[in-house]
Amino acid sequence: MRRNPTTQSVSRPMSRRSFVWTAGSLGIAASLLLQGCGSGSDSGSDDGTVELTFMNQSRGQEAALNALAKQYTKETGIVVKVESPGPSDYLAKLQAKAQSRNMPDVYSSFLAVDMAPFYKAGWAMNLEPELKGAWGDQFAPGVVEQSAFIKDNNLDVPPGIYSAHWETQSYGLILDPARTKIDPKAPPKTMDDLITALKASNKDGKGNFSVASSLTPALIQQFASNWLTDQQISDTFAGKSSWKSDGWRKAFQLLLDLKKAGVISNGALPGGQGDNPAVETSFFNKREVGAIFDASAGVSVGKRTAPNYTDYASMPLPAASDATLAPRSPGVPGKGAVVNPRGKHPKEALAFVKWLTMPEQQKVFAEEARIVPTSKELLAGGSLPAQLTGFAAATENQQKVTNSLTPDVNAALTRDTQSLVLGEKTVDQILDDLQSAQERG
Amino acid sequence: MASLTARVRDRRTLRRNITALAFLAPAIALIGVFTITPFVQAILLSFQSWDGISLETPWVGLDNYEFVFGDDEFWASMKNVAIFGVVGFFLGNALPLGMAIAVNRIRRLRTFFRTVFYLPGILSVVVVGVIFLFMFEPRSGVLNQMLDMVGLESLQQNWLGDPSFALPSVAAVFIWFHWGFGFLLFLAGLQDIPEELYEAAELDGARAWAKFRYVTWPQLAPVTTIVSLLTLLAALQIFGTVQVLTNGGPGSHTLVPTLLIYEEAFTNNRYGSAAAMSVLFGGALVVLSFLQLTIARRRADK
Repeated sequence: MRRNPTTQSVSRPMSRRSFVWTAGSLGIAASLLLQGCGSGSDSGSDDGTVELTFMNQSRGQEAALNALAKQYTKETGIVVKVESPGPSDYLAKLQAKAQSRNMPDVYSSFLAVDMAPFYKAGWAMNLEPELKGAWGDQFAPGVVEQSAFIKDNNLDVPPGIYSAHWETQSYGLILDPARTKIDPKAPPKTMDDLITALKASNKDGKGNFSVASSLTPALIQQFASNWLTDQQISDTFAGKSSWKSDGWRKAFQLLLDLKKAGVISNGALPGGQGDNPAVETSFFNKREVGAIFDASAGVSVGKRTAPNYTDYASMPLPAASDATLAPRSPGVPGKGAVVNPRGKHPKEALAFVKWLTMPEQQKVFAEEARIVPTSKELLAGGSLPAQLTGFAAATENQQKVTNSLTPDVNAALTRDTQSLVLGEKTVDQILDDLQSAQERG
Repeated sequence: MASLTARVRDRRTLRRNITALAFLAPAIALIGVFTITPFVQAILLSFQSWDGISLETPWVGLDNYEFVFGDDEFWASMKNVAIFGVVGFFLGNALPLGMAIAVNRIRRLRTFFRTVFYLPGILSVVVVGVIFLFMFEPRSGVLNQMLDMVGLESLQQNWLGDPSFALPSVAAVFIWFHWGFGFLLFLAGLQDIPEELYEAAELDGARAWAKFRYVTWPQLAPVTTIVSLLTLLAALQIFGTVQVLTNGGPGSHTLVPTLLIYEEAFTNNRYGSAAAMSVLFGGALVVLSFLQLTIARRRADK
């Protein structure tokens, strides 16, 4: 009878030599694995040096932040490691870190609605007691309040201030005076004047103005401030007031007016993952459009991607012809940091963030990254780059909205404004959509 | 004597089974840890409410499913992905098959075409997205520039910004990206068909269409099954191309379930409803795959 060779070879008992080799290899592998697991979240070193990790969201400030981190290490001996996964990956990576309980000591703050879950889960130090003291006095009036979560806010974040900022961000127009024939020193007084100017300079008929879909919530919020108070806007975001009010209706109508005048580039709002970078590229690099609606951070992008192009200006959006209130930029806290109270060195992390927000360091950010600082000393100094003056002016009259758009409303608003410009939906249909999204959220 | 032989046979079978299981044990462990466990966790998560960050994950019963069933965007995305599936299934098979037949006929440039047609498949989906963003750009994009150069200015479009063109444009990119895979399999299948079958068909007076209908097509049945299944699944799972090119826009015209699930989890921090969407969408894919495999097997058996 023939024996099955496979069965024979497998059923043969393991020799002592093989057993020792196998057991030894497994032992070494296991010890390496355990060693590897054990060293993952250490934020110090054997020689007692304190090491802080900063997770940075912005590419625009990356170079300045790296330079400042090096300077801080040199001055204090505290090593600061900056990780910059990139703006589009930032939130997903921060979430992954929270899920693995491996949060950085310091991390960039982002929009309130995105940061709220981190604050609620206890991954952010309440800086209110510190900011109410001498530290808070160095900031321009209103800056600290912008990042405060009031009692009963619509994101359910416990009252407090969880971030400190070296940038105050405002929204407005970035425009090329030569291509739009608009003099920034004598800007259009009304939206109608602006539309007329953009229409006159629309020589190829393809539109001379662009705004990314992802920024339309800010644009509509800015338009709405022509008729709605900050409190009314805030109440709408919190679901206490209806989206179907005249103020919101008129805000969407203004966007429709831009479309009807044929000034919106290609008759559509760019969408997609990189919609705002695409708009900025069309302005700074390709020079296809003469004006874009953007945040002040766009100036920083311009410096990085088209350093030789400086002949542009920024300006706040003018008032609507039938405005009942002075329009105000939405204004959000810009680049800043959150301190992780559960990190290994929260005190040192707080000290580092305080240092970053001091005027000397803010000056580096403002000059290197072309951002509008929060320091009242720097804002009063008048030494801002010319391209930022319009945005800086807008910060003086910013909205103070204490609630935030819910993710559902934000998504509906972003998609519906595209549909409005494409003529697929009417203003009333959009307001219905937004109300439904508000109620669902 | 007979019972002794049977006992030996049984023992041998048992030994063989134990050996096989010993070899399969690592694979079973890996499948258990990396496939079954996350799958079960996703199902459990679909009955919970979790923002992705906090430690609490309260049970909410069928709330997430109720939300998903009432969500217009989810159904709009399902409709869009069904279109991608149909396009992927038919064009994603027909084009590579046509290309493979053409390349199979020529001899001199076969290697060149084999390489060139497969080239898109080696690129990352993000690279493909970025390339076509430049191609489709309405003002300075290659496509509109070329139309302008040949005097077809009237055909210029806002390829990704116009609702009528956005979905076909993304579908075209998908087909381009995936055709190399189907092409290679079809080409290999064509080269496996015995030449004698064609010679016999010729002797019977068969022309080109008859040879394709009665020789090529039946002989390619196993390859067609695999290519159509994989292309259909790839089309239904489309994500990267859509995210980079349109992010679901304009409006919701190119929104697909995978992108919606991603947004629900990572943008809206609603992991529970994202998991419910995943369960529903994943379940639909499994059912569809079984259905297609059954139909294809019946066709192959004939």
